[in-house]
Amino acid sequence: MEVVDVRPILAPFVSFLCAGLVFGFGRSIFWRRFFTFLAAFIKMALVLSMLPGTLQGVVYVYQFVEFTPGIGIGFRADAYGMFFSLVSSTLWVFTTIYAIGYMQGDRDRVRFFGFFALCVSTTVGVAFAENLLTFFLFYETLTICTYPLVVHAETPEALRAGRIYLTYTLIGGGFALVGAVMTLNAAGTLTFAAPGILGMESGVATLAVIFLCLIIGFGVKAAIMPLHGWLPIAMVAPTPVSALLHAVAVVKVGAFGVTRVIYNVFGVELLRELGFATPLALLAGFTIVAASTIALTQDHLKRRLAYSTISQLSYIVLGAALLTPLAATAAVLHIANQAFAKITMFFVVGAITRTTGKKYVSEIDGIGARLPWSMAAFSIAALSFVGVPLTAGFITKWYLALGALEADAWWYVLVLITSSLLNAGYFFPILHRAYFRQAKEPWPPLEPGRRFETPKTLLFPIVICAAYVLLLGVTAEVPGMPFSVAQVAVDGFFAPVGGGP
Amino acid sequence: MTGPWAEALPWAIVLPLVGAALTPAVAVRHPRVSGFWAWGVLLVTAVLTAGLVSELVARGPFSYGLGGWAASYGIELRFDHFSAWVLPLVVLFVVIVPFSWRYLDHVMPDERRPPFYALLLLNAGGMIGFCVTGDLFNLFVFTEVVSLSSYALVAVGGRGLAAFAALKYLFIGAVSSLLMLFATAQLFVLSGSLNMADVSLRLGEIGGGTAVMVAFAAYAVSFMVKAAMFPVHVWLPDAHAIAPSPVSAVLSGMVVKVGIVGMLRIYQIYFGAEVLELGAFNLALVWLGAISIVMGAFFAIFQDDIKLMLAYSTISNIGYIVLGLGLASPYAVIGAAVHVFNHALIKATLFLAAGSIIHQTGFRTLSDLRGVARTMPQTSAAMAIGAVSIVGLPPTAGFVCKWYIALGAFEANQAPFGFALVFGALFIFIYYIRMLNAFYFQPPVHASVAQASETPWSMRGPVVLLASLCLILGVLGGIPLTFVEPAVLDLLPFWGQ
Repeated sequence: MEVVDVRPILAPFVSFLCAGLVFGFGRSIFWRRFFTFLAAFIKMALVLSMLPGTLQGVVYVYQFVEFTPGIGIGFRADAYGMFFSLVSSTLWVFTTIYAIGYMQGDRDRVRFFGFFALCVSTTVGVAFAENLLTFFLFYETLTICTYPLVVHAETPEALRAGRIYLTYTLIGGGFALVGAVMTLNAAGTLTFAAPGILGMESGVATLAVIFLCLIIGFGVKAAIMPLHGWLPIAMVAPTPVSALLHAVAVVKVGAFGVTRVIYNVFGVELLRELGFATPLALLAGFTIVAASTIALTQDHLKRRLAYSTISQLSYIVLGAALLTPLAATAAVLHIANQAFAKITMFFVVGAITRTTGKKYVSEIDGIGARLPWSMAAFSIAALSFVGVPLTAGFITKWYLALGALEADAWWYVLVLITSSLLNAGYFFPILHRAYFRQAKEPWPPLEPGRRFETPKTLLFPIVICAAYVLLLGVTAEVPGMPFSVAQVAVDGFFAPVGGGP
Repeated sequence: MTGPWAEALPWAIVLPLVGAALTPAVAVRHPRVSGFWAWGVLLVTAVLTAGLVSELVARGPFSYGLGGWAASYGIELRFDHFSAWVLPLVVLFVVIVPFSWRYLDHVMPDERRPPFYALLLLNAGGMIGFCVTGDLFNLFVFTEVVSLSSYALVAVGGRGLAAFAALKYLFIGAVSSLLMLFATAQLFVLSGSLNMADVSLRLGEIGGGTAVMVAFAAYAVSFMVKAAMFPVHVWLPDAHAIAPSPVSAVLSGMVVKVGIVGMLRIYQIYFGAEVLELGAFNLALVWLGAISIVMGAFFAIFQDDIKLMLAYSTISNIGYIVLGLGLASPYAVIGAAVHVFNHALIKATLFLAAGSIIHQTGFRTLSDLRGVARTMPQTSAAMAIGAVSIVGLPPTAGFVCKWYIALGAFEANQAPFGFALVFGALFIFIYYIRMLNAFYFQPPVHASVAQASETPWSMRGPVVLLASLCLILGVLGGIPLTFVEPAVLDLLPFWGQ
């Protein structure tokens, strides 16, 4: 059931407005914080207010303007879009708190918070995009808005990272544009639909080119190997940026795009017939293992997390490419599961760097004693990535494995097991160092008057996000939790084919 | 059936031309008055053209016979959908002129202002005339009015190099004008008429033939020179870079479009007559367009002077338009026609912003202008929006045309050109990202940059207004289509390969 409602456009607009206000009045610390928080909470309230409707199968739509005849800038909050926007708007609140603490005394904070809000605005725009054109508009805008954040430090290294980031993403954007244009030519429409909009009558060759263009286009941000080169380098950005954007928003937008292409542009049936998804799944499987292997060798904390992100993102791509309901459930769920766990880790790494100045794995011996709460949170996130039951990561792995078996592709189960081992291989040494080794030199003591191990604006988001990882792990079947939204989304993908989960 | 506004058609030409003639007289005591005078004249003209466009929307194309003589005997002025371009044209003039009030302080002494504004009004009047004339000879006359005033406007800055650039522009422009005169005479001899509609009819009776084709070729080359297409672009970069910034905005945004509009006019005549097989010509246009895109970007990469960089990107953008025309599929032509306006808007934004920066700091190269965004945030933001827009990234005006032309390329089964367009545009971004990096993310090297102040409001207002329009038209990309689509669809049945 579709209901015309203004909320799907209001949600991105709120943070867009916030960006404007921050640019305008952001010199004052009070107003900057006030606007950012106000927008973050209003947006979360807006998205949450649509949740009950979504669970009952209501889809909120809003047509903004006609761009080309028949194709407008339209917004449509279906279950999948809702799921993604829930994740990003929730995390925006926490990242804002964290960023305020982390960026204290840093340079150009007006620019930083302004573009931060713009990025969130475009992320929700992507989530609610009704058609490929709207999706593309927001997708490219996100690229542009992230650039000032990547080069924030303005060092030659940051500028180089920015250049590489733009090269990858803009070329990817070019492919996405060509793919969108070809889709419009072949299908006559761009509106995402449940069984997909393309059909066999366009010819296998054309379809192959479209698939390739769109997957390359969105795969760049989803960091599917070999398109992942920008991500580790972009870690030069301030930690809140790495956390929200390079672990959640930007890369998830890519993964979200890949899923949309698979389910709402091509559709399950057509892809099963064409068989294009199989090589994609193989590539994703390869990325999962290869990126984890590279992560083993990284000593820089953020880079290790970056490679872990690359590996984890391919879970989503793999889940989508297996074309079975259970695997799709895993793909959708992993958007939230990976986001909360990875953002916890980035927050902790940022807290370590801010509190002690350490950036490398080899430097953090005995940090568990200095930052007990943070490292506990980190441990929970690590367990989640390894896939220990009662954490969010287990749910993904469970459904992904079931989905692989459902698709008669048992070897992906081996990939998952290998990945779990590799995850343990690069996260547990960090825990080992943190808890079971003696610090080489005493940690800097708490500043006088502080009660917590690290500023509470940093600690609070860390603890909440880690708690959420556990919550996602134990409450899978509780109605109203993300799992139920994911199921509605997957029902939508497979409804025309039959055989939901 | 004509409405009240149809009677106002000749006034839209007469007003700026007479205004130009009166400028020195009006400003005889106080030279600075000439700027306000020119603005007032353009403002009234803008109202007039808005009326004309409203008439067009309400009742469709209309004609006006000068002196009461009916068309084909008398001189006809015709306002059709392509003529609607005069409205944004005059509006851009209205925005640019206030910018020039303060800008000219550093460029010329006060007593040279009246001739400057007279030339600017002549230029505007010439372009309006060019767009609304229904007569081939007047098309030539107005081309000359535009060209001659442009040469003078380039030289008006007054330094040695300006004269040189103007001279180069004049020599090449003269050849182009000569070709146009030749073609006009040729068509007159062949058809015995100068009225466009009439010529088209009679050409249809005569049929094809070498002479008809020679005239077409002469027109085509002539307008290519005016549009600064590769390889006849050589006059453009120096002229546009050296002229005062408001003039650069006019030249780069609008005067080169005379070539494009002229091309469309000639297409109308020849398509109406159905005497041309355009397959080969279109193919040539497509290739020239694609090469223009790449070469313009390629040259621009090596420029350090920001205005020279902008001038080269004009060549790239004319490449888009020509590529779109050559692809000859509905979407591609629509995209090209929309870009005629959008590029004018974007280029005006960029040149005015660049002008502001040069005006406030005294520097014009990237390496000198590092860190200027700190002291001139609003102007730099406008420059950034313009840069993103000219590359065709969403959500800006530049994306609209890229979208349509790419769509048209695939529609016409010319996939390689679609790819060339999309990725050629990215190539252009290399130099704009260099500019943005220098402005925003590098520390200032000169004290005058570090201590520069924002421009006065008479300069900042136009820049900010234009930049916001770049964004607004990116989202509301459908608006220009109202005019462009009917015009293109009228033309297209004859187009094709």
